[in-house]
Amino acid sequence: MIRMEQIAFHYPKREALFENLSLHIEKGQWVSIVGPNGAGKSTLAKLINGLLSPAAGQIQVDGLPVTREHVDEVRKKVGYLFQNPDNQFIATTVRDDIAFGLENRAIPREEMLDRIQEVAVELQIADWLDRHPASLSGGQKQRVAIAGLLVLQPDIMIWDEATSMLDERSKQAMMEQLKELHQNRNMTILSVTHDAEEILASERAIVIKNGQVAADMTPLELFEQEELAYECKLMPPFALALSMAMKKKGCRIAPVQDERELVNAIWPS
Amino acid sequence: MQTRMIMGRYVEGDSWIHRLDPRAKLGAMVLFLVAVILASRGLELSILTAFAVVVLLSSRIPFTRYIRAAKPLWPLMAFMFIFYTLFEHGGDIWLQWGSFRITSEGVLLGLFAAWRMFLLISFTSILTFTTTPIALNLGLESALKPLSIVGVSAQSWTMMITISLRFIPTIFQEAEKLLKAQASRGADYQDLKLMDKAKMVLTLMVPVTVGAFRRAEELVMAMEARGYVLDAPRTSLRTLTWRAADTLFLLLFVIMLSVMIVL
Repeated sequence: MIRMEQIAFHYPKREALFENLSLHIEKGQWVSIVGPNGAGKSTLAKLINGLLSPAAGQIQVDGLPVTREHVDEVRKKVGYLFQNPDNQFIATTVRDDIAFGLENRAIPREEMLDRIQEVAVELQIADWLDRHPASLSGGQKQRVAIAGLLVLQPDIMIWDEATSMLDERSKQAMMEQLKELHQNRNMTILSVTHDAEEILASERAIVIKNGQVAADMTPLELFEQEELAYECKLMPPFALALSMAMKKKGCRIAPVQDERELVNAIWPS
Repeated sequence: MQTRMIMGRYVEGDSWIHRLDPRAKLGAMVLFLVAVILASRGLELSILTAFAVVVLLSSRIPFTRYIRAAKPLWPLMAFMFIFYTLFEHGGDIWLQWGSFRITSEGVLLGLFAAWRMFLLISFTSILTFTTTPIALNLGLESALKPLSIVGVSAQSWTMMITISLRFIPTIFQEAEKLLKAQASRGADYQDLKLMDKAKMVLTLMVPVTVGAFRRAEELVMAMEARGYVLDAPRTSLRTLTWRAADTLFLLLFVIMLSVMIVL
């Protein structure tokens, strides 16, 4: 569980980004963090992982305070996937990069090899283990970056606009991966995103605006509040936009997320 | 752009030198360096060159690659030759024009200096040509460990080297993208004169450097997020094994250095 209480934060020589922000996320929840550009979504995620420290307030992850003394323990529980995969690789081969986090945690070599093999099979990257990360495509790189996190067996995964630089097919593959992680491992997922499909796949959408939690609702409710969605630079997917427009025109139709559901809603079999 | 850069790149292979422990190769390079510094006469340099050629050929890497490895330093070699030729005035005078003199000793010393430099660069390339960056890094970490007594952190140095090696292709890719972007707007690098090419490289420096700093900032966060703490105890996926061949290789260089000293 993630608990943030009365958080205040500001970057040096800048105005306060958060004042008195509080937030609770239950274990196993998939939460989307949305908001306008510069609202502090990524900052919020970095505060949870201890990459930034709040000026005031308390943050707890699974009962552990995110402080200098406990930050290593917290990071064992929280995996953080960045936007640009190129900026998160350390080693010159995929295998060594996946091992990086394990080496930092002083895991014995034999266990390291087992865990790398396990995660490589799970994420279907076993064939790339000896390749240089720079030689992979964007989607492949993000998959390797996920492997580098999963091998550490975290309970919470933070995706900081992790799909924003990917092509549509890679993005879909990543979404499937995320769904699997959530379902099979009961992982708590915090996804900082502008992607409508990613938001709709989550269970809860938290809108950060003007340093506060401006809204906390289901993703569908967020898209139904058109003004708020527009402010957050969100565009509903075609099926959802159409079903909402039809509902507005008086059609008895519930908002749906994909084309098949839309067809079934219009022409129930 | 990447393919033109020969110096410092690993060349895939399976020669006995490829299989040696990187620590043995590092030690051998240090001994060779000392031998090159000690060699001041033609005979000594000839023996060293013959020794180097035999070792280089046994690496089963085309010999021309070693010669090309020294290419970036040709201007420096030329400078050294000219410097000695102009400022060393011993021996027979071959050419005199006012106070300006070219002497036999000046030319000879210039040639020796350039020869030494060429030999050193070409030969030491064997280290990076036959050792993967990871193995080289492990070897360096192991070799630098004793320096912890004087407060030098081997781990920090090797981490710096790892990251540099990791980012070389990325930075080249970024520079290449910028070149292509400029070419698409009519400034094709290939069509330019030498001076304009130099100017264009300068214009690339700013965005590439800014990009590198931005990457570095995010990389630090990514490393911290994955539990990296400077100088904290770590384990390693890769291990090094010292074999009899490594001892023999090192011994070969010890004998070579002894011969140099005796001569």
